[in-house]
Amino acid sequence: MMDIKRVISTIEKSYIENNLKKEKRIDGRGLWEYRDFNIKTDIIAAAEGSSDMSLGDTRILTGIKYDIGEPYPDMPDEGVCTIMAELLPLASPLFERGPPDQQSIELARVVDRGIRHANCIQTKRLCIKENEAVYIVFVDMYVINHGGNMIDCGGIGSLAALISAHIPEGKWTEDGPEWTGEYLTGKDIISDLPLPITFGKIGDSVFLDPNLPEQLVSEGRLTISVTEGNITSIQKSGVTTFTPEEIKMLSKKAFDIAKDLRSSLDLWQYTTKIE
Amino acid sequence: MVLLIQDEYPEKLWRDDGKRLDGREPYDLRPIKMEVDVIKNADGSAYIEWGNNKIFASVYGPREVHPHHLAKPDRGILRVFYRMATFSVFDRKRPAPGRREKEISMVIGDCLEPVLFLELYPGTSFEIFIEVVDADGGTRCASTTVAALALADAGVPMRSLVTSCAVGKIDGKLVTDLSGVEDKAGEADLPVSITWFNDELSLLQFDGQISQPELEECLDMAKDALDKVYNLQLDALKRKYIKIQEEAEEMGGATD
Repeated sequence: MMDIKRVISTIEKSYIENNLKKEKRIDGRGLWEYRDFNIKTDIIAAAEGSSDMSLGDTRILTGIKYDIGEPYPDMPDEGVCTIMAELLPLASPLFERGPPDQQSIELARVVDRGIRHANCIQTKRLCIKENEAVYIVFVDMYVINHGGNMIDCGGIGSLAALISAHIPEGKWTEDGPEWTGEYLTGKDIISDLPLPITFGKIGDSVFLDPNLPEQLVSEGRLTISVTEGNITSIQKSGVTTFTPEEIKMLSKKAFDIAKDLRSSLDLWQYTTKIE
Repeated sequence: MVLLIQDEYPEKLWRDDGKRLDGREPYDLRPIKMEVDVIKNADGSAYIEWGNNKIFASVYGPREVHPHHLAKPDRGILRVFYRMATFSVFDRKRPAPGRREKEISMVIGDCLEPVLFLELYPGTSFEIFIEVVDADGGTRCASTTVAALALADAGVPMRSLVTSCAVGKIDGKLVTDLSGVEDKAGEADLPVSITWFNDELSLLQFDGQISQPELEECLDMAKDALDKVYNLQLDALKRKYIKIQEEAEEMGGATD
């Protein structure tokens, strides 16, 4: 059992702070190192795509479901993607039951914004018939264990789940949408991969991928979602403040880190092969 | 709406060779895998794969009761929250808990409570959270089985484990452990659970139509199935400690 509490002891807090000043972390990582990750995809038989992603002790299950509905009037030929997150009370004594709270909405929103503003979801491919029928793709994240930095874990897990997608392809007929017998896969519906990169800040030290004790001590985080060429969303959360120089430095670092991460993740390997 | 890619109700539930659609004999269980201590933050946790069902359970407690007015001055309380993920079923489930989930939560709580010594924990609560992430028939039985494991993993004093399994009737024949299709298209479904300290049934529901002699036969079939599942539960609990022992030996620690 992990020692997890709402209040972190002063001794542990100053231990983390003092080590960070010497550019050391309590789990032995360097300042700009991710924890080990592990991804499994297409593990849920009932879902049209799924992933089980762990980043250190954080573990998030993501599933893809779809529905067919009418398009928005201002986007008559574009499908819709909605992203939801649930911080399950089974995952941590810090999570409570009930409707989504601020923390789970922030997780869903930050992941959503990173994906929405990149050329990621091919919304036009998610149209069956203009003005009549489009796909609504649901990406639902379920936190199974909270070990810090849920945003990066959920964001990458969502991409892996989308890439593993196999959604029945619809065609328009007089009776409405019908199955063509084919499937839309990740390669059809996804293009750019925006990776969320989250930095923590404690005192004057900034570092990558806060683990749970670091997250509980830190007063804020900065998440920068980047594709290969562009920044697609930024979220500063918590009460901490960042200097403009820090933001400049971290946004540059985000690209370097994302480049390495992109190649070690190799997300396209999770494309589902349809027999 | 979603696109119809297969008929929900197959015409026949038995193959020509006399086996069930998934190749099982009438009394066979689906493949079952269990593991304890899968969620680090929890006081106790377990995971089960029962056929296509995939379910996590974690236990917290004894801890303070929220909201406070539920606390009882002379005993602890057990609260069970059974939930299904939106993507665990064919049509996406709405995220908010529905009536079915609330009823199953209650039924599971009632069937686990007899094995606990709640009178030893006045003013506190034990909470069991069950998350079904993939569902294919028999989730309440698999959930009960995995929740009992999570309680044991948490070190909560128990009179015994609790094990659950369903029996039923499809196309006129009695069978053990109905799959999702068999449950929907079959004639009868009888989930039962047993508290092993007194060998009595603590969960019993029935939907469908069977004769009285068939009910008697079902209960005998259930006993055989429960014995098999119980042994798998014991194995899962023991494996955790065998692993700890092996790690201790590797580190050169004392083993006895």
